[in-house]
Order: sequence, then structure tokens, then C-alpha cells
Amino acid sequence: MKAFTVLVAIGVIIGSIFLVSAIAYGLGGWLEIEHTIPLLGWRVFGPGGSWLSNMVILLLVFVMIIATFLTLAERKWSAMMQDRIGPNRATINLPGLRGRPLGGVFHVATDAIKMLTKEDFRPKIADPLLFGLAPVLAFAPVLALFAIVPVGPVVTVVGQKVGLQVANPNFGMLWVFAIASLAVYGTSLAGWASNNKFALLGGVRASSQMVSYEVALGLGLVGVMMAFSSLRLPDIISGQAVHLWGTSEELPFVGKVGIPAWGLFLQPVGFLVFFAAAFAETKRTPFDVPEGESEIIGYFVEYSGMKFGLFMISEFAEVVILAAITTAIFLGGWNLGFGFDSTLTRWLTARDLGWLLGAIYSTIFWVKVLILCYIQLAIRWTFPRFRYDQIQTLGWKILLPMALTNIFVTGALILIDPSLRALAVLGFLVIGFVLALTLKRAEPAGHHPDEAHPAADAHGHAPAPLPGAAAASHH
Amino acid sequence: MAYKATKNPTTDLRERLYVPELLRGLAITTRHFLRNLFNPVDRNTQVVDRKGLNLVSTVSYPEEKSPYPPGYRGLHRLVPRDDGKPRCVACYMCATICPAQCIFIEAGEYETSDPAGESRVIEKFPTQFVIDELRCIVCGLCVDACPKDAIRMDTGLHTPSEYTRAGFVWDIPKLLQGPPVSHPSDPWNKRPGSATPQHQHREAHTRIGEGLVPLKLPSGEPHKRTEVTDQTIPVTRFLKE
Repeated sequence: MKAFTVLVAIGVIIGSIFLVSAIAYGLGGWLEIEHTIPLLGWRVFGPGGSWLSNMVILLLVFVMIIATFLTLAERKWSAMMQDRIGPNRATINLPGLRGRPLGGVFHVATDAIKMLTKEDFRPKIADPLLFGLAPVLAFAPVLALFAIVPVGPVVTVVGQKVGLQVANPNFGMLWVFAIASLAVYGTSLAGWASNNKFALLGGVRASSQMVSYEVALGLGLVGVMMAFSSLRLPDIISGQAVHLWGTSEELPFVGKVGIPAWGLFLQPVGFLVFFAAAFAETKRTPFDVPEGESEIIGYFVEYSGMKFGLFMISEFAEVVILAAITTAIFLGGWNLGFGFDSTLTRWLTARDLGWLLGAIYSTIFWVKVLILCYIQLAIRWTFPRFRYDQIQTLGWKILLPMALTNIFVTGALILIDPSLRALAVLGFLVIGFVLALTLKRAEPAGHHPDEAHPAADAHGHAPAPLPGAAAASHH
Repeated sequence: MAYKATKNPTTDLRERLYVPELLRGLAITTRHFLRNLFNPVDRNTQVVDRKGLNLVSTVSYPEEKSPYPPGYRGLHRLVPRDDGKPRCVACYMCATICPAQCIFIEAGEYETSDPAGESRVIEKFPTQFVIDELRCIVCGLCVDACPKDAIRMDTGLHTPSEYTRAGFVWDIPKLLQGPPVSHPSDPWNKRPGSATPQHQHREAHTRIGEGLVPLKLPSGEPHKRTEVTDQTIPVTRFLKE
């Protein structure tokens, strides 16, 4: 029964993503046509006009709503990971909804109301201008980052070419690096303008961490840029749709089947470097030394009300955007990859259902994004915080050399084999090595004092005959 | 469940690479997440006895209450006689032994003018019997000290919450509660001569552990006494991963 409810909820989420994507394509197609305002005679929109609907729908609807719900998901999912129940107290006293927490969705509303109505307190000795500017500078770059992320393919809707992307400049990924480095101003200004020693320390910690990881962030993606010889994300996504090994002719129903040239397969090391560095940019656990809710005071101690809310929501928006960029660069973007893509495209294009094709692909993209969001939240609730020196060591002594080595190896392999197959073989070897180590049986003999219990887990817990052991044994 | 910390922190290749350990950690977290997401919560208030794949061990307190251990006694009460007066004879034993000095008694003497009256068997009664519940450490020494079985800790109640400190100072009207108790040896039951006492011996324990007053559990099932065995008592089955 509960499993059914959960599946229905997942279906509702995917269905609403599909619906909004379809609306976005329809609206984009309508804006691409040149319209004349009656009476005034002004000619508006026309080719390229879909940037307006894309900006509103992608940034304000998709990113902001997913980020808002991630604040709830953070608490509810962490509760489930830790065998708790999580927020379930907010209910609405209406017929049919009375006494139903509905998984805690109303907590989103209560949080928003709380943030908006709390006193917006500013310390007397704080710098008034910078104190107000800091949350804006923290939030605006995060939202602007999303402008270059393509969510859906370019398809024909009402005779117009429409894609779900705000802007497609030729500098593409450089925009990510440029704008991501602006976010550090928000945090360091927040620390400085609060005129509070602890906030200042938090701001300094944040800026040193973000500046260190800028380098690895950029270098981690160089391999992908070389492999697909482009900086534009749509080009990278279409490059990933190509099969490295696969059938050359169309099979019935599934179409062309094969292993796609996903960035994850070509660049597992680059993926690791980029993901770790981007994780440090979001300032979330295990890289949350700038905030450290539980022990250290962070750069936003002095902030309250919606200014604090802006810092929080920008963190969650960064989670969504990091997931979106990772999807586009490493997980094949909107493509299913392994099969069905060619048949789907052929059928829907032949029937002139471009909006349906785009909406399906956009839904696939967002589902991948949601899975990556889950992984980021799971990482936050699995790993303890790194010490400050460990953060700097990881950034400068591990990730940076890894990224540089990765660039040279990738370059050499692309020179040897421009079809990228050699690169993919190396990538699969790396993935296989990591997976083999992961699945390897725990300890070598003699390492652990617990040899009497070969089934003892990594902490030396002997398999005690507990009452619940039968239920727990298939862990 | 002893935790054996290894003296040798040497890590193998997998732990040095960090990523495999990271993936294993994620697998554990995700396994817990999926089990708790897709399986209904068992609402058994005895968390150790919960069945099913869901691992949630929360007892949502105001709606669900865990049963108390059988040794639980609760708030004290002044035991009434059959006629509703307290059994207390104002001997000051409890006030003397109380380590927290939370009991205050003011004794009154019975009128001796009427030879057939109460003063025939007892001299004193409490005109005031006050316990400061905020000072009380619930040690039970007063119950042991009482020679007349006049104060008991058998209610199984918590001290109710109050808005003022004065509200926690309980006097006779608040303390005198529960079923009356009478013993054959009670002086007020004594008859002149050696005739058999006419009254019935009635022992009215309200102690929950002995099953005389069933404790209401949310599920409606009666309170279960825990069997004492020599096995290690499992804290929770969820500690074992």
C-alpha cells in the first residue's frame, strides 16, 4: 500500500515535469512566431523569442521549485536514511486534507512564510549597503549559471525551431567557470559586512575553499572539452548520443542499441574531479567548513529572515544546477543513450509531434537531474565534514594533479584514436577497477583481530544473534 | 555489540582510494532510504519487537506511548482510609528521611474530650501535608519509612505540568487520591476486646506491574512483563548493519 502511494507520488512528479516541459515547448514555439500587438501595431518576438519563456520556465519554475522542494527533501530524505520519520507536523485544516501531512509538503509553505515574515534584523555596526548586497550576490550568479544548460533538444513546434535553453553562446562552459567564481563575492561580503569576527572567519574559510576548488573545477572539464571539441553544451550532448560500440542498423522497436559516448565513460576521473570540486563550490557537507551548522559559526550568522533564506535557497539552487551541468556533460543530457533514441526521434518527427519529443527528452533530463540531486543529498548525509587542512590537501594535492594527469592522458588517447574508443576503454577500466574494489570482500586475513567471525562487518561487529537478525540478515 | 577499535589504523588500497568506501557508504544510506521509503512503518511501541522491512524506530510520543518498565512507580499519593481521611498519623518519619527535604508536615491533635472519638486510637493527624514536587527526587525512601502505609508511589502518573512553581507544591487535596487501603492492624479498626475484626481486609495496590490496574497501551493489549533471562538484552536490532 505504501509502496503504491510512493510510486503514485513519483508518477505525479514525473508527470508534472512532463507537463511543464510540454508547456515550455508550446510557449516557446508561440514566442518564436512574430506577433503584432492589435491596435498599437508593434511587432514583437519573432525568431529567437523563446529565450523569454525559457528563462521564466527553466529558471523560475524548474530550478526554483526543485530547489524549494529540496529543502523539504533534505529533511525528509535524511530522516529516511537515518531511520527517522522526518517532518510530518504541518497540515492544512481543510476537508480531505485534515490531519494528512502528505509526506510533509506543507512544511515548504510554512518555511516560506516563516522566512518572509521573520524580522529582517541588521546589526547596528554592520555595513548597510554590503550587508544587503551580499545575499543578492550569493544568489544571482547561481541562477545565472543555469542560462547555458540545455534541458531539451531543438525540435520543430508550430513550424518553428525551439530548444529549451536560455542562451547558447559559443563560450558555453567558460560561462560556468566565470559565473561560478562570482559566487564567492556573496559569501565573503556576507562575512565582511556582518562586522562579526566569527562571520568574517566563516567568510574567509568560504572564499579560500571556493578559490582553491575553482582550479580543479575548470581543469576537470578540459578532458570533456577536448573529447567533444566544443564548449557548447548542446554540442557536447549530441556528441554523447553517438554510440561507441553498437548496431549500425535499426533494430525493431529499440532502434540503434549500443554503448553511448557518455562523459562518465570517457572521463571517469574528470567526472570525479568535477563533481568533488563542484560539491565544494556548493559548500555542502563534506565541504561545509564555511557554514558548519553544528560546530563552527558560518558566514551568515548575522542574517535572519529572507536574507538568510536567500543564502539557503542559493545553496539548494546550486545543488540543482550542479546536477543539471553534470547531467549535460557526463550523463548524456536528455538522451536515453543505450537504445530507443533513434526510434523515438523517427516516430515523433514523422508524425510532426516535435513538442512531444522535446517534452519526453526534457523529462528524461530532469529525472537524471533529480537522481543526481538525490546522490548529492545522500553524500551529505553519509559523510562527515572534512577538516580544513584536509579540504586544502584534497583540492591542491589530489584533485589538481589528478585533473592535470587526466588532461595529458586524455589528450594522448584522443590523438591516438580520434573515435574516442581508446579513451572509453581506459574509462571502463577505471570504472571497473573502482567497482571491483568496492565490491571486494571486506578485510584481508590477519588485518583485523576479528578473524573468528569472518562475517564481521567493517566495524568489527560480530554477527550477534539478535531477535531482528533474521530480518536484518539480507542487508 | 562490543565495539572493537583496531589498534592498527593501516588502511588497504580501497580505503586509501576513498571512492570505493564512499560508494559503499552511499549504498548503505540508499538501502536504508529505499527500505524506509517503500515499506510501511510498524507502529509497535516496543521498538525492539518491530517487524517488517522498514527500519524506522521512532515512537511518535503524544500519539504513541512506549510502555513503562515494570519497576516504574510514578508520582506518590497519600493513601486514604475507608472514610476518606488520609492514613497518615503525622509521625514525621517521611519528612525526616527525605533526602531532598521536600516533605512538610504540620500535625494536629485529635480532640480528647470525646472518649469514643478518634483520639481513642490515634493521637495525631496531618493538618498540612505538602510535597514540593520540584524538589522531590522520587527516591521512594518516604514509602519505605512510613509505618502506616500512608504514602505510596504506585500511581504510575507523571507530575503534570504547571505554569507556576507554586503549582508544583502539592497539598493534601491534591495528594490524597487513589483507592483506599485498610489493614487489620490499623488502630482505627481496633475493637475493644478480642473479637474478630468486623471489617474486610482489603489491599488496594494500584501498582501497574502486578496487573491489578491494567495499563492502557495504544494498541489495547495488556501490559507485558519482560522476562528476565541471562542473555544480553539487545538494545536495538538496528545497530547491527
